[in-house]
Amino acid sequence: MEAFLPITPCSTARTGNEWCIHILEEKIYECPDYQASGPNSCYFDKNHTNPWTTYIITVMATNEIGSNSSDPQYVDVTSIVQPDAPVNLSLETKTSASITYLWAKWSPPPLAAVSSNSHVYHYELRLKPEEKEEWETISVGLQTHYKVTGLQAGVKYIVQVRCMLDLGEWSEWSSERNIQIPNGESPPEKPTIIKCRSPEKETFTCWWKPGSDGGHHINHTLLYSKEGEEKVYECPDYKTAGPNSCYFDKKHTSFWTIYNITVRATNEMGSNVSDPHYVDVTYIVQPDPPVNITLELKKSVNRKPYLVLTWSPPPLADVRSGWLTLEYELRLKPEEGEEWETIFVGQQTQCKMFSLNPGKRYIVQIHCKPDHHGSWSEWSPEMYIQIPTDFRVKDMVVWIIVGVLSSLICLIMSWTMILKGYRMMAFILPPVPGPKIKGIDKHLLETGKSEELLSALGCHGFPPTSDCDELLIEYLEVEDSEDQQLMPSHDNPSKNMKMIPKETDSDSGRGSCDSPSLLSEKCREPRALPSALQTQDVRAVQENKGAKRSWETQCIASEQEALLFNNESTKSSTWPAVQLLPNNQLPVFAYHSTVEAHTIMLSTTNVNISSVLVGNEEKHQSRYPVAEAVHDNMEKQREMEYSTTEQTTVQVKQNRHNDKSPFLNPKLMDYVEVHKVRQDEEPTVLLKHKDNNGKTEKYTVPGTSKEYTKVSTVVDHNILVLMPDSRIQHTPVSQEPAMETSQNLQQGQAEKNMSYCLTAPSDCKRETSGSEYMDPSSFMPSFK
Amino acid sequence: MPAYIGDAGDSPAPADPSSSVPGSGLRSAMAPARAAGRAGAVAALALLWLLVCGPGDSGCHLLTVADLFDRVIRHSGRIHSLSTTLYAELEKHFPPRDNELGKPARKCHTSGMLTPNGKEYAQKIPREELTHLILKLLQAWKEPLSHFNQHIEHHQELPDDSLSKAKQISNMVHELKTGVEKVTEKMQSMGIISNSLNGMASSEGTGLSISNEANMMSDSDFIHCFRRDSNKVQSYLKILKCRIMPENSC
Repeated sequence: MEAFLPITPCSTARTGNEWCIHILEEKIYECPDYQASGPNSCYFDKNHTNPWTTYIITVMATNEIGSNSSDPQYVDVTSIVQPDAPVNLSLETKTSASITYLWAKWSPPPLAAVSSNSHVYHYELRLKPEEKEEWETISVGLQTHYKVTGLQAGVKYIVQVRCMLDLGEWSEWSSERNIQIPNGESPPEKPTIIKCRSPEKETFTCWWKPGSDGGHHINHTLLYSKEGEEKVYECPDYKTAGPNSCYFDKKHTSFWTIYNITVRATNEMGSNVSDPHYVDVTYIVQPDPPVNITLELKKSVNRKPYLVLTWSPPPLADVRSGWLTLEYELRLKPEEGEEWETIFVGQQTQCKMFSLNPGKRYIVQIHCKPDHHGSWSEWSPEMYIQIPTDFRVKDMVVWIIVGVLSSLICLIMSWTMILKGYRMMAFILPPVPGPKIKGIDKHLLETGKSEELLSALGCHGFPPTSDCDELLIEYLEVEDSEDQQLMPSHDNPSKNMKMIPKETDSDSGRGSCDSPSLLSEKCREPRALPSALQTQDVRAVQENKGAKRSWETQCIASEQEALLFNNESTKSSTWPAVQLLPNNQLPVFAYHSTVEAHTIMLSTTNVNISSVLVGNEEKHQSRYPVAEAVHDNMEKQREMEYSTTEQTTVQVKQNRHNDKSPFLNPKLMDYVEVHKVRQDEEPTVLLKHKDNNGKTEKYTVPGTSKEYTKVSTVVDHNILVLMPDSRIQHTPVSQEPAMETSQNLQQGQAEKNMSYCLTAPSDCKRETSGSEYMDPSSFMPSFK
Repeated sequence: MPAYIGDAGDSPAPADPSSSVPGSGLRSAMAPARAAGRAGAVAALALLWLLVCGPGDSGCHLLTVADLFDRVIRHSGRIHSLSTTLYAELEKHFPPRDNELGKPARKCHTSGMLTPNGKEYAQKIPREELTHLILKLLQAWKEPLSHFNQHIEHHQELPDDSLSKAKQISNMVHELKTGVEKVTEKMQSMGIISNSLNGMASSEGTGLSISNEANMMSDSDFIHCFRRDSNKVQSYLKILKCRIMPENSC
């Protein structure tokens, strides 16, 4: 391919930045930049442009077959500098001293590199009348304006400028500018009707722009004709709407008619008429913007703020007549936002805006338009509304307050609950009552049916109800009187007396109660063991039993008492009796006694007595390890004779009831006395027992035998219980032992008071109580 | 386009307008509705577009005059919008010989009718007369519009859209006229306007000559004139409504 590549002349537009191709001395360089100046060009930037050198430039074209080079071109950068054309040429005709001249102004060409040195341009200006071919060129020099005089009036001239740096070439000519050199003698230019507008669809106004005046004062006349009419009218009112306007009042405004409007400009030289303007007033209605715009922030139910916009139609618009119906459109945007959000509202004059971003300041504008025709009004002035941010914060504060308050309330509630909780607990789980008499029904107590109560207590046989009441009271009080019972005064011979049988049991199993000599010794021994060992056991058992008992008692009290007490009065009488004994001693064993009594009761109601009793016995055994050795022997006997013991106790108690009635009045402290009484009394109970072994034990009361007129029971085969008041038969028999016992009793009392109970009252108590509990049973073996 | 176009204008006005018994001319159009079931106690009220009660629509209540006015006004507005669009389309296809509006020779066939050309006139004119004027204007366009429809169909270069618009306008004018008649009846029955209108309505002798005149116009002129008159009708309706019920959003 044979290609000839002519090198077009280099140009250095944008002075200082050369667009050309160069060649330097011997060394051959390639074009540094083929891209910057477009295709088939090479751009030499500042680094590659040396104004003091001549560049020899060739272009080589190469393809697969071969290459070809252009002729070398010699380039002197300085000489090829060609600036761009000047810009912003403006022309004016001015008249001074009735001479009209042309005033031309322009700006130097914009530099590509503004930072470079300020170039000094030389300018040339050329002009010619529009219709001619020859330019008249004027050298302007360094200034960027020029005053051309001697122009022909009424001729339209074309003007151009160009510029040049010191050494370079002239730039291109700038773009052409035309100017009409006004002719003082000519009529004015044609005015132009700009627009017509009706603000309220009742009147309208037209505005025009005057043409150049030609140096003379111009009169403007607006003429119009209506469609279908030949007659031409002149503007009724030039003044109302300002200069260069015509106002058509209501009378002159017709609708559904086309107005043909022209404006004539006239001066001394003549007149010129504008192009006709056709107006249908219906379609030039452009109302004023709405007024009375109010922005209001409201809170909805869910406390979210929303914006309520209200506005009024423009005051000129008579919307009430129905002649003009306006539709509204509003737009809003955040203050920093770019895009308007436009909402067409229709004919209503209020709008609610939801979902506004809190914390932003919004700009709101409204405009309006007649429906179906006309055009939109201007936008109303900008209204600003700040959407507060503190709605959220307020919410937060409210919630925090609510939270704090509620937690406070909870705290107080729980606190009071804790404080009152004990009471509450007391309500729900009442404190485990002390030993209670099974037979006592609260209802009975409350209702005050003393007779039933008494009958329940087994007192029914006794006329003096007061006694029974007292008894009751005592039972109840006994429950609480643990401590007082611990008093050494309690430790009376009665206890000692009761200790005796047990210890005798432990010793030999046949030990009699009436061996007082053993009393003191044996009373001490067992105390040490059981005191240490048993207390825990006992307590455990107590607790268990206490718990059980509370239920049992209730059940029994409610269910069985009627049966039991009514049907088996004798048995029921054992109840208090059994309880009475332990009550004197300890509530702990009172439990046992009651339990036992309970079991007895149960057993009486068709339960095998012996088995139940054995169970009880076993418990007792566990409590009295001392007695275990003897126990084997004892058990059989007990099983055999238990019923007897019961009855004996019954007897004893019954007796005691009679006896104690006077003593029951005093309370806790009186128990001491009771015991004493018992001591006294017990001897009164004469038990004759003929054992297999032949041992005979007799208890006799030395002194007064009182009301023991009651029946002496014959128990089983061998045991005879006598309660003689006046029967003197027994007394003599028992006199000797009685004497002994009394001595022993005294000794025992002394000892117990001294060492026994004083040192360890609790132990003593338990022992004694235990022994006392064992009373009936303990008697048995002794009797044997 | 709904098909229930009845020629209610030709049929004598029902004696009791509030009963909303469809005119005889509507019977055929109402057939499907009747077939659907007129079982309900509600009489088939779907008198054209005016009464939107469907058959069996128990919630349908008799429309107030204000409602009827709102509808006819909206309808006339739609007609006006349609005609504006159609006019622009016709101008595009048949460039006016003169510059846009500037054709003094343009003369609408309804130009001869004396109509109030401003708000104050429209407010001064008696209600009956204004009502009559509206009806007269609509009547004057009924015939020419159907002619125009037939005529315009021969213009192959016109897009179908324009043709359908022309047809739609024609139909809507029918409907509008029926609607205005309905309002008129209602107003007369309520004593809002006197019954003197009846005599005027019958004297439609001028209608024919006017329509002949209309046939002489060019298509764009025709639509231009119609557009103007539709705007007139709308404006008069609005004025009338606000005169009768000034409290009602006026």
